[in-house]
Amino acid sequence: MGRYFSNIVQSISTIWTGMNITLKHLFTPSITLQYPEERWEMPERARNQLFNDIDDCIGCDQCARACPVDCIYIETEKVGEDIDLGLTSKGTKKRLKVLRFDIDMSLCCYCGLCTYPCPTECLIMTPHYEASVYDRTDLLYKYAKPWEYDDLESADASKDTDKEAATAG
Amino acid sequence: MADTDTQQVDRPEGAIPDANVTVDRPGYPDEVALEGDDNIESELMTLNMGPQHPSTHGVLRLELKTDGEIIEHVRPHIGYLHRCFEKHAESLSYPQVIPFTDRMDYLAAMNNNLAYCLAVERLLEIEIPERVEYVRVIICELNRLASHLVSFGTYGMDIGAFTPFLFAFREREDIFDLFEMTCGARMLYNYIWVGGVSHDFPPGFVEKCTAFLDKFEGKINDYNNLLSYNKIFIERTANIGVLPVDKAYSYNLTGPNLRGSGVKWDLRRDDPYSIYDRFEFDIPVGSGEMGQLGDCWDRYMVRIREMGESVRIIRQALEQMPDGDVHKAVPRNVRPPKDAECYTRSETPRGEMGIYVISDGSNVPYRVKVKSPCFTAISAMNFLTRGHYVADIIAVIGSIDIVLGEVDR
Ligand code: SF4
Ligand code: SF4
Repeated sequence: MGRYFSNIVQSISTIWTGMNITLKHLFTPSITLQYPEERWEMPERARNQLFNDIDDCIGCDQCARACPVDCIYIETEKVGEDIDLGLTSKGTKKRLKVLRFDIDMSLCCYCGLCTYPCPTECLIMTPHYEASVYDRTDLLYKYAKPWEYDDLESADASKDTDKEAATAG
Repeated sequence: MADTDTQQVDRPEGAIPDANVTVDRPGYPDEVALEGDDNIESELMTLNMGPQHPSTHGVLRLELKTDGEIIEHVRPHIGYLHRCFEKHAESLSYPQVIPFTDRMDYLAAMNNNLAYCLAVERLLEIEIPERVEYVRVIICELNRLASHLVSFGTYGMDIGAFTPFLFAFREREDIFDLFEMTCGARMLYNYIWVGGVSHDFPPGFVEKCTAFLDKFEGKINDYNNLLSYNKIFIERTANIGVLPVDKAYSYNLTGPNLRGSGVKWDLRRDDPYSIYDRFEFDIPVGSGEMGQLGDCWDRYMVRIREMGESVRIIRQALEQMPDGDVHKAVPRNVRPPKDAECYTRSETPRGEMGIYVISDGSNVPYRVKVKSPCFTAISAMNFLTRGHYVADIIAVIGSIDIVLGEVDR
């Protein structure tokens, strides 16, 4: 019987202690944010959406080889010595046409391994995190701009007709 | 190279308390026996708990054989989260395996990274720079805090206290902010690399971390007042799921589950890897304060007290941390010598995680085997719950703190 009452007394007193702690939080400022209206500052290193600056990409395929889930698809084509594809912003000479550079973000595990070996630092993970889409196929991000090589081709067409035929085919 | 010698270290004298603990179980088996009336047919009822159940901490299915309210047998069915980690590792290069180790015990990913990297570094026999060691210790202990916070919060919620859960996740958020500013990810980091870490601490990290620790130390007291010493919580956990020392050994329990039974055994002290031998810290053990030695409350309390010890370690590490380059020892090509193999173990928040790696001389591991602490812990489920009420299963699952991602891998 004594135990019964001491249990009740202990329950009430320990709950009272706990409730005091909870009560204190009534007077502390809230730590949550009203998300769509307000947003957290993302740190500079935040690893979210991948982004490739295709103008700097030399198509070296190192990122695709580093990826553990193989979700980067790259197709390149060699160009002859005489065609100048220009330089990257860091001064590396581009030697390959990047015809396809797709990243399937629905497979990506956001490990960041692809960004470290990139020699021109054009593949980066950005702090952008709102990447939801309605259709899963929209998660296949296409970065390559193969049409840009068309102009190049026509400019060089007079020099090397064989090559153009090969590309068109 | 850190000293991760795998030879058996003798358990220190006096670490093993008296093993003669009688397990007091309500109503089983004597009182349950049917009295006299042979006409009543009685059979056990089979009850499935899970896989979709909020209190199974993942996707665990328990097949219960109950006699009324009393549990007669529990059989855990695992494998719902099986992702072939070990087989998968055989087709990936050594650094590429690291993101997959994150996903084993997703509540303590840094500790898993470290466990794997320790093994590969041992194969390669590389020297780790001082700063890297300190960075790793700080990061791993922070992750231990985060992991124990989840364990504490969800345990409270399982038992019926919702507030501790919110409190725990609030502090865990601060830890994740520290991680995010360091490596950019919040839960699955790929931070600890073979031979180094992916990023050095950003400017301002030390100040922010110290500020967090100052704030956090006071919070532990709050947790105790809120949950640990709450009478209702004690009634639900004390004397439940008692694990005597000899059983803890025979089920090969490690980490807080073993320490909850009163064994002072912690790899950080007894078989120090990385630089844990440089820090002063205690190893909290269960003492049967509220009930019997090795009950749910003891296991729970070991985790709470360990948080205080982790804070101590982080403070010391932050103080002693030297400058240096964290990428200096990262090998360009990870290619351990042919036929090299090693087993290393380290103390994750859930116990002893062992990684066994065999190399065939290429850049892909020939075999990776993980000895998971949760897997062994779950094997004790039947022993721990037998003879208790159905409602006590929740208390037992929460107290052994399993993560199904690591059980299944
Ligand atoms: S972040 Fe990881 S998974 Fe995603 S594309 Fe890069 S390497 Fe592949
Ligand atoms: S590593 Fe960089 S430069 Fe090379 S293909 Fe990938 S994105 Fe392009």
